[in-house]
Amino acid sequence: MAESVRMPMVASAAVGELTSIRTSVVPWYVWSAAMAVTATTVGLYWDISWHIGIGRDTFWTPAHLAIQFGAVLTGLSCAYLILHTTFAGEGASRDNSVKVLGLRGPLGAFIAAWGGFCMLTSAPFDNWWHESYGLDVAILSPPHVVLLVGIFVMGVGGLILTTGQMNLSAAEGRRQLERLLLYSGSLLLCLLFMLGYEYIGDQTLMHSAIYYRALGMIAPVVLVGIGRTSERRWAATTLAAIYTTLWLAGNWIFPLFPAQAKLGPVFTPITHMVPLGFPVLVLPGAIALDLVLDRFDGWGDTWKAVIGGYGFMAATLAVNWPFAYFMMSSHARNWIFAMNEFGYNFPPSQYHLAWELRTYEKTRAEFWVGMLIALVATALSTRLGMLWGEWMRRIRR
Amino acid sequence: MRAWGIMLALLTVTSTAFAHVGSPDVYFEGDAGPYHLLLTVNPPAMVPGIAQVQVRVTSGAVSSINIAPVYVNGKDQGMPPTADLMQASAIDPQCFIGKVWLMDSGSWEVRVEALGTHGIGKLAVPVPVFARRILPMQKALGTLLFVLMLFLCVGIVSIAGAAAREGGLPAAAIPSPRNRRLGRIAMAISVVLVVTIVALGNWWWNAQAADLKKNTLYSAPPLRATFDGTDKLMLQMDEDVWHKTRKDQWSMNLIPDHGHLMHAFLLRLPGMDRFYHLHPEQASEGSFTLTLPTIPSGRYKIFADIVRGNGFPETMVSEITLPDVIGRSFSDDDSGVDTSAFEPSAPATNISPLADGGRMIWEQDRAELKAGQVSWFRFRVEDARHEPVNDLEPYMGMAGHAEFVRADLSVFAHIHPAGSVPMASLMIAQKNSGLPMDHSSRHSLTDEISFPYGFPQAGDYRLFVQIKRRGQVQTGVFDAHVQG
Repeated sequence: MAESVRMPMVASAAVGELTSIRTSVVPWYVWSAAMAVTATTVGLYWDISWHIGIGRDTFWTPAHLAIQFGAVLTGLSCAYLILHTTFAGEGASRDNSVKVLGLRGPLGAFIAAWGGFCMLTSAPFDNWWHESYGLDVAILSPPHVVLLVGIFVMGVGGLILTTGQMNLSAAEGRRQLERLLLYSGSLLLCLLFMLGYEYIGDQTLMHSAIYYRALGMIAPVVLVGIGRTSERRWAATTLAAIYTTLWLAGNWIFPLFPAQAKLGPVFTPITHMVPLGFPVLVLPGAIALDLVLDRFDGWGDTWKAVIGGYGFMAATLAVNWPFAYFMMSSHARNWIFAMNEFGYNFPPSQYHLAWELRTYEKTRAEFWVGMLIALVATALSTRLGMLWGEWMRRIRR
Repeated sequence: MRAWGIMLALLTVTSTAFAHVGSPDVYFEGDAGPYHLLLTVNPPAMVPGIAQVQVRVTSGAVSSINIAPVYVNGKDQGMPPTADLMQASAIDPQCFIGKVWLMDSGSWEVRVEALGTHGIGKLAVPVPVFARRILPMQKALGTLLFVLMLFLCVGIVSIAGAAAREGGLPAAAIPSPRNRRLGRIAMAISVVLVVTIVALGNWWWNAQAADLKKNTLYSAPPLRATFDGTDKLMLQMDEDVWHKTRKDQWSMNLIPDHGHLMHAFLLRLPGMDRFYHLHPEQASEGSFTLTLPTIPSGRYKIFADIVRGNGFPETMVSEITLPDVIGRSFSDDDSGVDTSAFEPSAPATNISPLADGGRMIWEQDRAELKAGQVSWFRFRVEDARHEPVNDLEPYMGMAGHAEFVRADLSVFAHIHPAGSVPMASLMIAQKNSGLPMDHSSRHSLTDEISFPYGFPQAGDYRLFVQIKRRGQVQTGVFDAHVQG
């Protein structure tokens, strides 16, 4: 830990006050951060489903409003928190704050506010982009990247806000915050999986190295990072289970709502909102991570990252590879697995392509090189998660 | 009501588009079953984009209108999207406005379904769609975004510094010199990262913009005109990136419009005092030969209309200086006119003498012509005794043809009594929709013809209005000053 100079008297009084407050209560702004990331994640899922099924949108679609609600909620709550801490804060709230541009507040509040502000900035930018370069020419356009960075940073800010509070709490208050942290972490995983949707959302790639490369890069850093921060047993497993449950809930609830294609040409008639496909089977890898990291607890982090990453990939492969055959079969073409759900612009004559495994890599050598990269990326991602988690554990403000 | 106001505002906006020779809006007058409609479509300036659609019911009582866009690619077109209900005007219940989303460049049709006292009537109108311009960022918005970016950059650097300096300190602890040094290091690293990210973002943005400009913005195929020294003009169509990259999307082959693969209009500059409507013959793919009539020397602007296999119309532009040409007399559908030079300061004309001794009278409904307002341009034909004629004949299947040319040549529009839609495109749209294909029969040949059209921008225009009488094409010439 970094050296520091303690302020006598005031500090001890503040900590006493803080401890008494934080043993049982989850502060409103932590709830607010969790609600914001929930709204944004649901909004993003909704928006992708909207584009697949309905096609066209405006700024005022419910999906966009949900995304921006997250930004506004974060912006307002964090702004209030920061302004209150700066100008009216006293005792614990002020003592446990950081100073940014002359303002004081929790570190997570500044980060989340920055994310929310970034999201709001993307709105006029995106509007102009549409007018100038056409409506959603590409998913990864500059204004969309600004939005995605904002969403991601807002989510991370919420996690840091929760963590800062958690690290100062004890007993039931801490346990509540740990649960909230895992929940918010699962939403972060949802968001990252949506970013990698092109690869890990395509079940036909489950026998391609690119699928495992994307999964290996994205998942361990969140699972291990949040897991280490929470210090709970089976944290990665719990987080992955929450992610799976939330995604399945989306898959099963969204299709209950009617929808019609509003963009042509329509090749597949749309009668309801289209689900985003079966969740990524990240649970086996998460169990392996928890087991390995627990079993090798005394080892150095680098070795643990290598063994943990290897365990994650081995378990992921062991389950995903055979599961791919099931997903391609007619048994998966139902509401549970959603392999019979297609967007409006997917012609029935092409359905068979969604039910046939394909190899992204052109040659066998390319595949094995890809798998090697996946293994290395998984270990690196695991190590990064450890570093992130370690840093998060030190956050006190 | 608000939407109606927006629509009116849009209609009065001055267009600065130059592709398709400056007149991108689609005007069409036709029957949707028992109802007679005048339809205006303002295609988006950038694609994908939203087209504004306005329908005026001119006969029959219509209670509601649905519209749906269909992309015409000559291949598997799927089904149209769910149709949208147009909004009736609060002022005029027989006026409706709506919008359609057009997601790709090329040939589209807007399917119209009108419901009224006589049941349902259907219509399909072809709409060529292409990106015309990239909207520059307004100064105010640019300033706002720059300030926001600056704030975000400063904010993230400060946050990084605070995180490293104070994030892990116990409550109320004051950062030590080491903490402060860590904070400064974090800020320095953040500055480098932020500057790198902004620079990369700027490079990416420019690359994207350049790519879109190159691949998305439409330009008509380049047209090379060469004169053989006697009476032949060779017209060679080339291809640019826009066309090359769309070959697989839809047919690039040409189809005849009014029985001709190409309609070439020769306009002598600078006075626009000679005008010829001619029909080159295709020599090979993309290559046309035009046998010229007798024409005087001068610099000529060439406008060449073609229609692609999917109904996408294009107007190519070229220029050539010709000597005096001793050619053949007008044959078949060829025609021309010898008139006075255009004078911008001269008053607008509404009577034009015809070559056969008769005259053509422009019946103007309004004292003042305004850009962006759709109206019927009505012309009455009289014989040499100033009596209404009753012997007009179809000219290439239509009651008449009219060409609207802006004095600076930034606008050239070839209009028919059914509107700005080429008949070949209309036939494809109607066939696609399973609707009857004859739209010329309605325009019975009296002494009066009318053309629905709206000037795309203010300025001085010359109008060439062509009818056929006793086997001879007669061309009336009118000048107009259009207000903004």
